[in-house]
Amino acid sequence: MKRRDFLKTSALTALATAAASRWNLALAQGSGIFTLAYPTSFPDLDPATSFSNDGAVLANVYEGLTRYIPGTETEEARIEPLLAESWDVSADGLTWTFALRDGVKFHDGTPLTSEAVKGSIERTKKIGGGASFIWAPVASIETPEPLKVIFVLSEPQPLDLIASAGFAAWIQAPASLEQDNAWFNAGNDAGTGPFRISRYEPGQRAVLERVADYWGPVPEGAFQTVLFEIVEDTTLIQNMIEGGQADWTYSVPFENLEQLQANPDLRVVVNPSFETLFGLFNTRRAPLDRPKVRQALSMAFPYDDVIMAGTANLGTRAKGVVPAGIWGHDADAPIPQTDLEGAAALLAEEGVEGLELVMTYSTSQSLSATAGELWKANLEAIGVTLTLQPMAWEAQWQLAKSDPATAQDIFVFFWWPTYVTPYDYLFNCFHSEEQPLFNLAYYANPEFDAMIDEAARLSGVDRPRAEQMFIEAQRILIDEAVAVFMLDRPNVHIIRSDIKGYADNPAYGHVTFVNDMSR
Amino acid sequence: MDIIRYILRRMVLSAFVVVGVTFLVFIVAQVVPSDPAALYAGPRPTAEQIEKARQELNLDAPLPARFVTFAQAMAAGDFGISYKSRRLIAEDLKAYLPATLELAVFSTGMALLFGVPLGVMAAARQGRWPDRLGSLGAIASVAMPTFFLAMLLQLVFAQWLGIMPLSGRISREIAISTPVPQATGFLLFDSLLAWRPDAFADAARHLVLPALTLASYPAGVAMRLTRSAMIEILERRHIAAARALGLPSGRILFGHALPNAMGPALTVIGLSFAYALTGAVLVEIIFAWPGLGRYVSEAILAKDFPVIAAVTMVVTVCYVAMNLIIDIAQALVDPRVALT
Repeated sequence: MKRRDFLKTSALTALATAAASRWNLALAQGSGIFTLAYPTSFPDLDPATSFSNDGAVLANVYEGLTRYIPGTETEEARIEPLLAESWDVSADGLTWTFALRDGVKFHDGTPLTSEAVKGSIERTKKIGGGASFIWAPVASIETPEPLKVIFVLSEPQPLDLIASAGFAAWIQAPASLEQDNAWFNAGNDAGTGPFRISRYEPGQRAVLERVADYWGPVPEGAFQTVLFEIVEDTTLIQNMIEGGQADWTYSVPFENLEQLQANPDLRVVVNPSFETLFGLFNTRRAPLDRPKVRQALSMAFPYDDVIMAGTANLGTRAKGVVPAGIWGHDADAPIPQTDLEGAAALLAEEGVEGLELVMTYSTSQSLSATAGELWKANLEAIGVTLTLQPMAWEAQWQLAKSDPATAQDIFVFFWWPTYVTPYDYLFNCFHSEEQPLFNLAYYANPEFDAMIDEAARLSGVDRPRAEQMFIEAQRILIDEAVAVFMLDRPNVHIIRSDIKGYADNPAYGHVTFVNDMSR
Repeated sequence: MDIIRYILRRMVLSAFVVVGVTFLVFIVAQVVPSDPAALYAGPRPTAEQIEKARQELNLDAPLPARFVTFAQAMAAGDFGISYKSRRLIAEDLKAYLPATLELAVFSTGMALLFGVPLGVMAAARQGRWPDRLGSLGAIASVAMPTFFLAMLLQLVFAQWLGIMPLSGRISREIAISTPVPQATGFLLFDSLLAWRPDAFADAARHLVLPALTLASYPAGVAMRLTRSAMIEILERRHIAAARALGLPSGRILFGHALPNAMGPALTVIGLSFAYALTGAVLVEIIFAWPGLGRYVSEAILAKDFPVIAAVTMVVTVCYVAMNLIIDIAQALVDPRVALT
């Protein structure tokens, strides 16, 4: 072949390849691919131990017994049947009977049975990783009939809520129960959901394909393929969603949202999330052991400014601990308002002068940094010096757990519930602990402990009474200013305008239920 | 004979480096304050889960015993599991290492391809415009921050001209509808093995921009080093003799001068290769390249010690092997090296 011919041939080949790939793209969009640009990887695809962003993939592949539907302004929050069609609880709240849906099949073709439910939960408990602790109250599981499963609890707990958890509540096929973590992480799955994992390339992508005989309703024009593209760079994410290479994402900085809102091809969907940001005061160290000092510091916090500067005004004021959309949320909570003069007066009354405080937060949380900077400026005006100390989350947590006497003064972090109950927030972050774990205010109040423990016992049998008690407990925390309740974070998702049927469910953070959607 | 002794000596030294790094990695892990059990127990562990993890990981055993276990496992190539994800690290490496090696080899090749001929040209036209222009280019390519160059290339070639893919290792159409069966993990190689010219061309196109970004710095350095080495060589007597004999200038430059000036350029290959192995985190993030740099940077932030140890070991071995090859190549090109 002459050189010129060779060059000509290679040029033509390159053109043909380019044309073919464009044609392929058109074909791909036509056949119903939904692409999610996801900013983090999916480290663990084992339904028993997954407790991270992998939930976004697994929630489309596996299902639990129930699903939580958050409350809105017009509707109460409720728990919907999923693999369970209905359930009953005994009067003492200790025995829960679930009737399973008939005709549900796992992806390997075997039917859903009570044995599979028992096996799944027992595997999760036995491995003991991830969020398996949600099943701690379960003493035994009985399977009297193929479609009937009975849970006997050691203490009354709302098992319908527990079963709706975003992690550790997935039911898997009996054949997969003996498999180890490596089998699942090679991209194998054993769920009942509308999709199955067809490929998993760590650090790059996960590809899900629709299963042929899904038991639930499938909308017309539903997607056949779900593609999770792992993209860390936010600029690249924005390019992809603007250029149509992605249909959904959430990791775009707040300051860029205006530009995206102006784009007719895109829809910016803002919803409340169940993530609340607070700064826990070190209640074991003087002068922060005095409620009045903590109240003064809370009054110096610039609540509205942080919501404006940190979340483009999309966030909302935290009304105590439990965010809106969850039962136990206290819409009328007596929350403090920013009042620098009042704060200064209160500090003077307490005889506190020249106070120096250290606030720690996770480096990856830019919102915490904004909150810290603005608070610091306010505190300076009343003679308090706040030192901001960003740390890797592991280091921040390690410091806080080690010894309250040498730990930080203020510990800033987000909390979200493993399953949707006020008890999750109140128990983990404020119930007294022998060894500090997440109660990093080191708060210990027997009256508060007794109140939330009793409310938790009542949650399964008398939810209105339980709700009232949870609200009272939160008022104790607000009154004693155990933490500064900074804000409830908004969930911001960006989707292409031609996508139909999208609904965000904050109970399952950044999970997209692709089965409900179409183009 | 000298060369064989030289090679053996280098190999023994390399083995010492690897053992030394193993020890260092273990010590550093003990010094850094962190609680591996808490990490292993998951993001929201209970106190019981942490205690259980401590026992599972055998963290209460005395330090020397743990070092022996660690060194034995490393020697056997058993990297264990990640504390954070509980995945087998060997499985992760199988996915991430080939992507990084592919990029490293490609970018090193590019650096040589651009740097060396430009250096030769600049030396041959010393002080004139090709030299000035080349030197300016070399300074620019060394001075330009990689993240900026990466975004610039994306903007021009992917977004304005649309002739290069924006990111990733392969187009999603190929990844979804007709994926290349994975044999070695090196996509270019795998697509040839499966005889998929479409996938090969696609993967090669995806390599160009990230490899170019990574090649920029070493190419500049290679150009400068080759240039100064060539200038020195070109003043030697044997070149003057070759000129006097009337040999064509191309043959003088590439046949007689360049082999004598290759030493520095070969050294740059080693540096460039090492840099591409883990120093490429930003480039990997910007191009969504699923490489080792991204993998280990996540592990470092999480203090996921087994992953850090495994990657350090793998990179050390790759680097030491690469250096060994370069040393040998240098000894072959220039026999004086083996004598020192």
